[in-house]
Amino acid sequence: MADSAPKPSSSVKLVLLGEAAVGKSSLVLRFVSNDFQENKEPTIGAAFLTQKCNLPTRTIKFEIWDTAGQERFASLAPMYYRNAQAALVVYDLTKPTSLIKAKHWVAELQRQASPGIVIALVGNKLDLTNDGAAGGGAAGAGACDDDDAAAAAGEDAAGDARKITTEEAKEYADEEGLLFFETSAKTGYNVTEVFTAIANAIPETSLKTNRGPGAAHGARHEQPGIDLGRQDDGASRDNCAC
Amino acid sequence: MESLSDIHWDVVISGTGLQQSLLALALSRSGKKILHIDSNDFYGGTEASLGLQDAASWVSRIEAGGGGGLLKSAAIWRPEDSTGLAASRQYYLALAPQVVHARSRLLEQLVSSRAYRQVEFLAVGSSYVFKPASEPTQPAALVRIPSTREEVFSTTAVSTKEKRLLMKFLKFVLDHDSSPQQETWHPYAEKPLSALLSEAFNMGEELQKLIYTLTLSLNPGINTKDGLAVIRRHISSMGVYGPGFAAIYPKWGGLSEIAQVSCRACAVGGGVYMLGTGIQSTEVVEGGVKLELTSGDAIRTRLLVRASEDAASGMPVIRRLVAVTNSSFDSLFEPAVEGAPRPAVAIIAYPAGSLSTAAGKASEHPVYLSAHSSETGECPAGQSVLYLTTNASPDAQELLGRALDAFLDAAKPSAQQEVRVLTKLEYEQGSGGSSVLITQGPILTFQATTPSIAFSDSVLDPIRSAWKKILGDEAVDDEYLTFSDREGAADDDDDVYEQ
Ligand SMILES: Nc1nc2c(ncn2[C@@H]2O[C@H](COP(=O)(O)OP(=O)(O)O)[C@@H](O)[C@H]2O)c(=O)[nH]1
Ligand SMILES: [Mg+2]
Repeated sequence: MADSAPKPSSSVKLVLLGEAAVGKSSLVLRFVSNDFQENKEPTIGAAFLTQKCNLPTRTIKFEIWDTAGQERFASLAPMYYRNAQAALVVYDLTKPTSLIKAKHWVAELQRQASPGIVIALVGNKLDLTNDGAAGGGAAGAGACDDDDAAAAAGEDAAGDARKITTEEAKEYADEEGLLFFETSAKTGYNVTEVFTAIANAIPETSLKTNRGPGAAHGARHEQPGIDLGRQDDGASRDNCAC
Repeated sequence: MESLSDIHWDVVISGTGLQQSLLALALSRSGKKILHIDSNDFYGGTEASLGLQDAASWVSRIEAGGGGGLLKSAAIWRPEDSTGLAASRQYYLALAPQVVHARSRLLEQLVSSRAYRQVEFLAVGSSYVFKPASEPTQPAALVRIPSTREEVFSTTAVSTKEKRLLMKFLKFVLDHDSSPQQETWHPYAEKPLSALLSEAFNMGEELQKLIYTLTLSLNPGINTKDGLAVIRRHISSMGVYGPGFAAIYPKWGGLSEIAQVSCRACAVGGGVYMLGTGIQSTEVVEGGVKLELTSGDAIRTRLLVRASEDAASGMPVIRRLVAVTNSSFDSLFEPAVEGAPRPAVAIIAYPAGSLSTAAGKASEHPVYLSAHSSETGECPAGQSVLYLTTNASPDAQELLGRALDAFLDAAKPSAQQEVRVLTKLEYEQGSGGSSVLITQGPILTFQATTPSIAFSDSVLDPIRSAWKKILGDEAVDDEYLTFSDREGAADDDDDVYEQ
């Protein structure tokens, strides 16, 4: 494979949505840095994070936008999710209200986002359930070396905090045509799988080649857009310097 | 999570209009504890963009007296047969559809703060002058205004002699601060621009109308000093960001988008956001202000920044009519020169005197119509949004209606096509006393800005004053709104997930 021509690479804007504290930022941190911070809000402090996902025929460069806490008081701006090509709508398996909130976000995306948007419904905190321990194996963690995975095994005895069955959520996801995963940002279980599945599901037609950071934004409307970063200093010929 | 009252806030910003939002952007890397609230459940204040349903509730609130002293006489209209109108959320009706010139400091600041990367900008295309019908043989027409050398050469709108005058004038404007040119216009500085044009340049009335339109001013008597400054801004902006256009427009509802992007930047920096939350009561106390929020939270802050909702008497009041139509008016949005991006906005000027009421009274003020194509995201494909603005007066409502009808007639793609207005929104909007920031102890107040056709940089000055006040000794002038990129790029190639 060493001599193969470089694969086409495309930027995809991916947004996170869901109730506060379901683990959105933790999922990003796990995916991008393979890290987890217990009992602590991970600080993202970036407009977006980037992470590449290598598929057999192409490379997807995710620009992952976190809510920056604006979901806490229902204050997310439309500009946040309007141009997204992919969305992770996250709920907490141990918190029934969070699935209701997730359904609200799915409906909002279906109304407001780009028509071809790929949405994944993600039930997080699987490690707090009985099957979470079983699922915590390193095999589930894809290419990342997941040292933390074993930690989940200790929670067998802790009892099952699950409040939302897999069937219930899966049935809803199927009805709405969403990808569906149960994950643990804590153990890393299924996290990479979510992003890989999204990368695979992005229709080829909604992709375009990279133009650098920020390129994913408004990908569909390349033609009329003006790039303020490229000021044309030699423009004075067009000025009426009669 | 820490409750709001546990935190001793450095600054509470009330309202998410453009000024408050740009202030939030300016403070986004300061490490200050910022709470940013808005009593509306949308961003943007008087610069918001609204879906149809939002617009209807906005109108009801104003009619119930909720517009402060700034907004009044609001109404929304839909025909009985509303076929053709898409779902409410497919529309973004801009309350501030201003175009922004390439040479505006706003764009400089959006670039230096890196906020521009999250906004999609579109080209503003040609301006046109509305020429009323004269005699039965000459129907009303839209005359494209030439504002580049190429356009002046190619236009058929003016005679060869007028072309020469126009060239001479445009050249003069670009150079109007040099001393020989100053001699020409200084005697006219405080006189109406029309005096300079007719006396120093020998221009006839028609040519004067073309030039006046380049000012995009609502004031028919704009003086020479101000008039030349804005025409110069227009001409020197030409070509800065690409060939064939001088101004740009943020997609999805104009300045609203800049407000949203600025607020997000502040949130990324740790600012806390609460929509649908206003201030119930304010009490100045030792070391700051005690606030009771409509959410029931009682909080303390060192400083409070807010915007006045009062209109100052004697300051301009505009009347606006927003109309969604079932036609895309494609021919208005042709690029001015080859290789130019396709414009999404076109401006049509109706000089004073070019419209009249049913009673036969001629218009005393100019009217401007900004036509937005669906490329702005403000309406679905195949439709357009028209924003008409003039100074408020007893005749203004009728004259805007006439301007709209005249436009639909003159710009109609073909005699067969039936062009319909699908919905209309109208209101009056006042403005504050001046652009100076008002400081009363720990409370800083922005005065309402004057709604204009082109964005005016004077809006930016009080933001900087507020920023300095909040940061005190920590404020470094050269670093105002100057930030590096904040994209947490992972080490690219060695950290790729393989399938
Ligand atoms: N047990 C467990 N805790 C998690 C998991 N993901 C996140 N958390 C915790 O849940 C809390 C909220 O996480 P955060 O990522 O800040 O949620 P966000 O508000 O949705 O971004 C933090 O205390 C995290 O440590 C998970 O998979 N399992
Ligand atoms: Mg978070």
